[in-house]
Amino acid sequence: MTRLHAPGFPEELIRARARTGQAAAFPSEKEYGHAVFGAVPTTGDDLLDRMRLAPPIFMPQRLEKLIELGREPTYADVELTTLIGGIPARLPVYVSALGSTEAAGSGLGLSVIRQAARLGVPLVIGENVASTSGYRDTETAAGLHLRIKTYLAELRGEHGGIVVQQNTEDADSEVWNLVYSDPVVADLLASGRLAFELKTGQGAKPGLGGMTVLDAADATRLAGRYVLDTTFGRGALLRSGSPGTFTEEILGQQIRLMRNNYPRARVWVKLPPVRDVRAAALVAWSAGADSVTVDGGEAGTGWAPLAFLQHAGLPLAECLRRLGPPPSCVLVSGRMWEGARAVKCLALGATAVGLGRAALLAVDEGPENGLVNLVECLALEMRMLVSALGKYAPARLGPEDVWLPEAGS
Amino acid sequence: MIADEPRFPGPLRRHLLSPVTRIALRVQQEILGAVRGFLAARGFVELQAPIIGPVTDPGVRGAKQVDIDYYGARYKLMSSAILYKQAALLTFDRIFCVAPNIRLEPPETASTGRHLVEFHQIDIEMAEASREEAMAVLQGLVVHTVDAVVRNLAGELEALGRDTGAFAELLDQPFDRISHAEAVARLEAAGHPQRGAAELAWSGERALSGKATRPFFVTDYPKGSRGFYDRESRTSAGVLRNFDLIAPEGYGELSSGSERESEYARLVTRMRETGENPAKYVWYLELAREGIRPSAGFGLGLERLTRYITGLDEIWQVTPFPKLAGVVSP
Repeated sequence: MTRLHAPGFPEELIRARARTGQAAAFPSEKEYGHAVFGAVPTTGDDLLDRMRLAPPIFMPQRLEKLIELGREPTYADVELTTLIGGIPARLPVYVSALGSTEAAGSGLGLSVIRQAARLGVPLVIGENVASTSGYRDTETAAGLHLRIKTYLAELRGEHGGIVVQQNTEDADSEVWNLVYSDPVVADLLASGRLAFELKTGQGAKPGLGGMTVLDAADATRLAGRYVLDTTFGRGALLRSGSPGTFTEEILGQQIRLMRNNYPRARVWVKLPPVRDVRAAALVAWSAGADSVTVDGGEAGTGWAPLAFLQHAGLPLAECLRRLGPPPSCVLVSGRMWEGARAVKCLALGATAVGLGRAALLAVDEGPENGLVNLVECLALEMRMLVSALGKYAPARLGPEDVWLPEAGS
Repeated sequence: MIADEPRFPGPLRRHLLSPVTRIALRVQQEILGAVRGFLAARGFVELQAPIIGPVTDPGVRGAKQVDIDYYGARYKLMSSAILYKQAALLTFDRIFCVAPNIRLEPPETASTGRHLVEFHQIDIEMAEASREEAMAVLQGLVVHTVDAVVRNLAGELEALGRDTGAFAELLDQPFDRISHAEAVARLEAAGHPQRGAAELAWSGERALSGKATRPFFVTDYPKGSRGFYDRESRTSAGVLRNFDLIAPEGYGELSSGSERESEYARLVTRMRETGENPAKYVWYLELAREGIRPSAGFGLGLERLTRYITGLDEIWQVTPFPKLAGVVSP
């Protein structure tokens, strides 16, 4: 089996967490008593990495908690359960869109799905899955129906749910109609734990649609539905989806039609890291979206041109700055794997963070428990950081909890 | 009065042998005769609607389409004849068809009493016509048809327990009309939650219908609740020049109609607003680019009209081979 790689991502640190879980939140316990530790100066141009969390000394909310508990609160008292776009989750984390890209369609994808269900976190099923692999006819790992069934088979308790994306090509395949009337989702619909996510673009390649590399046989099957390009010479073809054309009116009306057509499903909207992200989010919320997901320019699991990976799309921190204090649910993804980045995003207005590449790496390391371990480590870090800020629920975090060097104070 | 029938169709043999089925289908035959006579007298030409095509009405409310393999191309069974109706006005000024439709409706519609997966619409389209002209034709058609059945099949209606006194107002007075916004306000005042930007919920529509004593029109649905071909008002943005006809006594929607969008650029934009991929409508958009005629029209559900006139509880009772959502049947 080929080991999965994620160039530019802290792969070894993620694999360590997938193996050892919460222990990986600390330096090796073997070094305890034999070494001293301090911050490693942050380099690089990632704005979120350069920010620091800034706890205060005076903590009125900790006093509230102390009074409530009758004892000093600890990080274990931080309540992480939350509603993510209307779906109850055990912590402010969801597993973000793993679509038709080959890494997600293999056995790895199903491992991610099983573990996400066991964790009680929502799962977003990406675009182009049913359009390229079919809905019910296939029993390969890539089929949409199989992905849903796999998640539901492991789901216990009241936390977790499924989110199904649809893009322009998926609309031709009527993905949402297929899911909405499938008896397999009846319980999810009845408990408000099924959402549909309108995809308007993605982090890794804003302005482009989903791209995958196909062999000639698959290309023949999909000809006419997607743009196919012989970029790679003989053999492999580049398959491109369409990003879709949007104006304020088109976006607002598409959301209203979703609410009209699927009244029992939650409505999510996924935005790429665009300069008018605030205007788009306001249109989405006012049309009735339960949640807006913003994929930072640093996000994405799929295949994207290098020029886009390096140069196109706003970084997530800038998207959050432009959004300002959001009036409704904002979900973010982009290089998420550990607690500090996640807590910074929550402080800057996000309701939850999405794991993409990190989830795939974690299950590549641990097909049974890799993602569970990674998320438990992340949850521990979240608890410790949120409590250090004198707060006991992520929703209480605010921009005062984050310091950016350029901002001075 | 014939004994109560069950909520869902039983074995096909029992259904086909039922006197209720026999009478309902006789009434339906009378309805079709009256419809054809009424429309032919007003210059409508009957066409046979296509059953398959590369694209069909996208539909709303989560109804799925049926794909078929057409020599390697993906084709659809028609969920509505709308696109072909507009095209057919290149040949005639006024057309109609009794069009078979297939919509794989969400399973919860199996118990509404008025949804079938396989059904027929009396589909009408009139070139260069306004919404008001289409509504006038629809009102005239319903009154004429009810009158014909009451006159010619009084014994059959009596056998079904249908009190023809229920049609007294229909036969005597014009149909009321209220706007969608008024309908929303009435529902909310009566304690039915109803979003202003959405289609009327089935329960709310049933409540409005239950209070009415003759059919009434609901007009001006908001964009975002209907397909791309319903024409948007040029003076009130976001409001469609469309209508539904609702039967009284709780029977609910009988018909939907509208003025149509016919300008190419507007059609493409409206397709995007409804999340559609314009590329799959290529034959229709090519016609529109060269010019199709402005029009208005409607689809009147044959089985729904039959159910209303016969007063039967369930729509499957008025069709010989009923197919309800989620129920595997012959």
